[in-house]
Amino acid sequence: MNRWIVGIFAMVLGTLPMAAQSIEDLNIQIHGYATQGFVYSTQNNWNSMTSSNGSPAWTEAVVNVTTQPEPKLRVGVQARYFLLGNYGNAIALDWADADYKVNEKFGVRFGKVKTPEGMFNMIQDIDPAYIWSILPQGIYEVATRTSILSHYGGVVYGTLRLPSKAGSMDYRVWDGERIIASNDPLLLPFAANGILFPSGQSGNMYGGTLQWHTPVQGLMLGVSESQNHQGGTATLGPFTGNGTVKPFQIPFYYGQYERSKFTAIGEYMRLPPNYTFTFTNGPTIPVVLDIRNWYLMSTYKLTEKLTGGVYYASSFNLQAPLGPARYQKDWTLSARYDVSQYIYLKAEQHFVDGMQIGFSPVGNSTLNPQSKLTILKVGVSF
Amino acid sequence: MKNLRFVILLLVVASIFAIHAQAQVIVIANPGVKATEISKNDLRDVFTGNATSLPDGSRVVPILLKAGTVHEEFLQVYIGKNDTAYRAGWRSLVFSGQASMPKSLDTDAAVVEFAAHNAGAIGYIGKASPHEGVKVLAVK
Repeated sequence: MNRWIVGIFAMVLGTLPMAAQSIEDLNIQIHGYATQGFVYSTQNNWNSMTSSNGSPAWTEAVVNVTTQPEPKLRVGVQARYFLLGNYGNAIALDWADADYKVNEKFGVRFGKVKTPEGMFNMIQDIDPAYIWSILPQGIYEVATRTSILSHYGGVVYGTLRLPSKAGSMDYRVWDGERIIASNDPLLLPFAANGILFPSGQSGNMYGGTLQWHTPVQGLMLGVSESQNHQGGTATLGPFTGNGTVKPFQIPFYYGQYERSKFTAIGEYMRLPPNYTFTFTNGPTIPVVLDIRNWYLMSTYKLTEKLTGGVYYASSFNLQAPLGPARYQKDWTLSARYDVSQYIYLKAEQHFVDGMQIGFSPVGNSTLNPQSKLTILKVGVSF
Repeated sequence: MKNLRFVILLLVVASIFAIHAQAQVIVIANPGVKATEISKNDLRDVFTGNATSLPDGSRVVPILLKAGTVHEEFLQVYIGKNDTAYRAGWRSLVFSGQASMPKSLDTDAAVVEFAAHNAGAIGYIGKASPHEGVKVLAVK
């Protein structure tokens, strides 16, 4: 299906010069950003980096080209270079879509589109957009985000003004296919147990989001729910078979309150995939997860250029054996300094209890249940 | 008591300056825009990318000044953000594929010229700047 969508997207691109009367009418814009991170951790290495010695192996660079040949139509493409320890080190298509907004109440976007679920999924990879160096990892895991940021398909969106001064309601509905590459860190937990997906995974998914901008100035409440179905050819040593996951729902409930220099955000998300691996002339292996994630965060703008923040995040896999690999609790202190509108610096300290996310036996001869993580980042955007 | 009087005096002076600052920026639009006034909330929605039309349905396109005191005042009074935070908000929309960055122009005269000749254009300039060919929207 994704080839069809990309083909249609290419056709739209091809018709743009006809829609515009001149190159200037195309209103072409080019933007980008780049970040360089430095990570130091105690006890455990983090996300395949040699972070216990201090590591600068975290680089991202994004280039974005958009054109708006007429007010209702916008077409764009964004490419990303991502390196985190041994992960990535490649350029990937972030999104490439055509967006037709009929009016405030109705618009449609199709191609490879960002999936608008949860509080941060649309912007979780956009480092200049927030104070944090890493978002709460139970929901927005930095190593695996490339695969879950977007899907091939479409999004229908709009904003409805509610009667009787009840605020407004943003809605987003999406449908399409999500593709996970064979070397994606999302599949590493299976690889660690000898199960490989030589062609990756793919599957249909659909869902919706409602965000209510309440009459209380600065208060937004949101809910997202998606239905996911993934699978692919799997191997286990000499055996070949299929690894499929039963269709499962991912619910998100979240809220944000902004007042003057203060912002508070809270979110809950449940991830309950139920895998079955069936190998020809081999074993059948069930893998059941039930991960409950939540966090509370707040930020305060201390000066024109300096913002501080703190969050507490919790992630529990209720189906995992008892022990520190079952959970992760993370107290985080963060600061961001905007040198100018183009350059910023970030510093972040994590106090982590548990080793469910980002601390893999691969790259750690022994794992300690508690570790500290210090992240420094510099970013440039234009 | 003296301190209290001094504080009251400071507040009065600050209020006068605040009113004076608000009065230095006017919102202008292409003459084809139907509205003659705009609420502060609608103005903020348009200039933060949350809305591309006014409540009467007319489509609008925000035009920014690149820098300067009028730009800073507009952001402070009507958007509630400084330039860095404001442009970071737009970058979130741009990098997530939800919007294009608004056009930024160098001078009040360039904003007036653009708004006069482009349907739906809405911008802001200093009150003292000439603004023939555009309409002024009252901000309620």
